[in-house]
Amino acid sequence: MIHLQNIEKVYRTDTVETLAINGINLNIAKGEFLSIMGPSGCGKSTLLNIMGLLDEPSKGKISIDEQDLSRFSDQQLAKFRNQKLGFIFQSYHLINDLRVLDNVELPLLYRTSSTKERKMLASAALEKVGLSNRLKHFPTQLSGGQRQRVAIARAIVGNPQIILADEPTGNLDSAMGNEIMEILINLNRNEGTTIVMVTHDENMANKTHRLVRLFDGSQVQ
Amino acid sequence: MLKHLFKLIWNKRKQNFLFLSEILVSFLVIFAVFSFLTYYYQNYTKPLGFEYERVWAINYDNGQFPKNKDSLQTLYSTLSNSLKAMPQIEEVCYASGNFPYASSTMSTAVKQNGKKFDRVNFYTVSEDYKKVWNVTMLAGRWFEPEDAVSKDKSIVINETLKTAIFGEGSAVGKLIGDFEDKHKMKVIGVVQDIKTAGDYWPAGNAMFNRLDTGYLKDTRNILIKVSPDADATFESQLYKFMTSTFKNSTIEIEHLSEMRDSKNKVTIIPMVIFMIIAGFLIINVALGLFGVLWYNINKRKGEIGLRRAIGASGNSVSYQLVLEALILATLSLVVGCFFAVQFPLLSVFDVPSSVYLIAMVLAVIFIYLLVFACALYPGKQAASIHPAVALHEE
Ligand SMILES: Nc1ncnc2c1ncn2[C@@H]1O[C@H](COP(=O)(O)OP(=O)(O)OP(=O)(O)O)[C@@H](O)[C@H]1O
Ligand SMILES: [Mg+2]
Repeated sequence: MIHLQNIEKVYRTDTVETLAINGINLNIAKGEFLSIMGPSGCGKSTLLNIMGLLDEPSKGKISIDEQDLSRFSDQQLAKFRNQKLGFIFQSYHLINDLRVLDNVELPLLYRTSSTKERKMLASAALEKVGLSNRLKHFPTQLSGGQRQRVAIARAIVGNPQIILADEPTGNLDSAMGNEIMEILINLNRNEGTTIVMVTHDENMANKTHRLVRLFDGSQVQ
Repeated sequence: MLKHLFKLIWNKRKQNFLFLSEILVSFLVIFAVFSFLTYYYQNYTKPLGFEYERVWAINYDNGQFPKNKDSLQTLYSTLSNSLKAMPQIEEVCYASGNFPYASSTMSTAVKQNGKKFDRVNFYTVSEDYKKVWNVTMLAGRWFEPEDAVSKDKSIVINETLKTAIFGEGSAVGKLIGDFEDKHKMKVIGVVQDIKTAGDYWPAGNAMFNRLDTGYLKDTRNILIKVSPDADATFESQLYKFMTSTFKNSTIEIEHLSEMRDSKNKVTIIPMVIFMIIAGFLIINVALGLFGVLWYNINKRKGEIGLRRAIGASGNSVSYQLVLEALILATLSLVVGCFFAVQFPLLSVFDVPSSVYLIAMVLAVIFIYLLVFACALYPGKQAASIHPAVALHEE
């Protein structure tokens, strides 16, 4: 599903050059649930951003769903992200000025869809994460776990084949973390969604199919 | 997408309040500027209706003159003949103080079938007034000597007053009442409008009344049309002639072209000052809008990054931000237009509705362009924000 070949990422500023990741080769199969672990600053988020087409690698090749993405325009990449990928972030990244339902509808706004259809799909996604009773709330009126569930609903509303999650349980206590993990596992199991998750938590990582460890930008396991 | 943006704006109405009120105030100021400009322009494009280039006004004080009507009559006709005899003088007439470009005004009202027509400029002029100014008759005739003895007082009205009273119908030969409707006056002719208050003001309603012997004691102005070769030397000759004729009287000779310039300046200078002030205000508002939008984009980097991640291209992000600014502008403009439309509805000033409507359209276009210009660069900048960076920074 996702093929990374010799991926390298260098961040250049005026004064310093940081080699964030170095020579990563990774093949992720369709329907796989993969976790990535490693110390802070080792390049996990960078790698995930590259897989999510949010950042370009300095070197190497990436293909997703058999498509070579190196020649895609900004517009094509945006469309590709919209249709194939779902994102979950540690800090949720909800829009605080929009109600829960409107937040979840967001990805559908960048497709051709009717208002009714959007509402229906967003409600269904929220039902899957158990938040049917919070549609009209604003994100600031929710707990951290609830917010992350809204973010998951937003990630799955467009029915993507791949979900990229960057420390989805990082801001939550273990009970809430387990709840989120449960949702992801079910998603992977029932819908066959390919999931790549960055985590600091061994217990979470152990529940996934495969674990990749990074150290200083390189894969160590 | 539009509905989505409306929701977003509505939910952020408190943060957007400053932006909204800035645009509202700018709109009202610009509306005022454009109203003035449209009004002045509309008046400016109307024909002047007379020729002022070689007309001079001689002003004198008449305190020493004989009180007797007949001797006054003799004095004035002698004076007029002596002036006309000068080769540099083509025409001579006497007039009340409110001749074109003079600072004095006299206004009255007329009544027709019980209906009152206000603010009618009332000019008292001798027969040769028409020749001095080369005024054009649209219907009927100008004053003639026999008007002195006619049963009803003869008057000439201008086109504006004629249209106000008679519409498309004919006015010549009709009788109209004076301001109390006590005396009837007979319209003998209609003249083309003459813009006596300068190029930027309308002619208004006007009524001309023949200067008869009874008015001579109040006459203080001689208007002359000079030939092209009348120069400063002639002017001083004329001045000497006048002082020797009217001993102990202060004589003043003014050129109508200069009076016109100063009359126009009275309109133009305040307008220019107003426009400069409005210009500064608009520059301020533009910088303010630019700043607010710029600040918003930096504050919203997380949101921008998120939108990029879930499927917005760089262009669609900048499109969204510009569109948001334009929607906000629209909200302010709706409120602004509600205020602006009261002017023509209540006819607050004596200005045609078309002036306000044109000014409103121009002001709306201006504000949209202003907001668009201020939003364009921040919007472009937002498009170039890297999605990963934007997400990183929250
Ligand atoms: N935009 C950037 N500009 C410069 N350097 C960057 C940038 N983003 C990341 N880096 C550097 O790249 C390296 C990897 O960063 P990354 O965010 O991928 O780490 P991480 O493994 O996700 O860490 P954490 O567990 O703390 O989230 C770090 O050394 C970081 O300083
Ligand atoms: Mg990270």
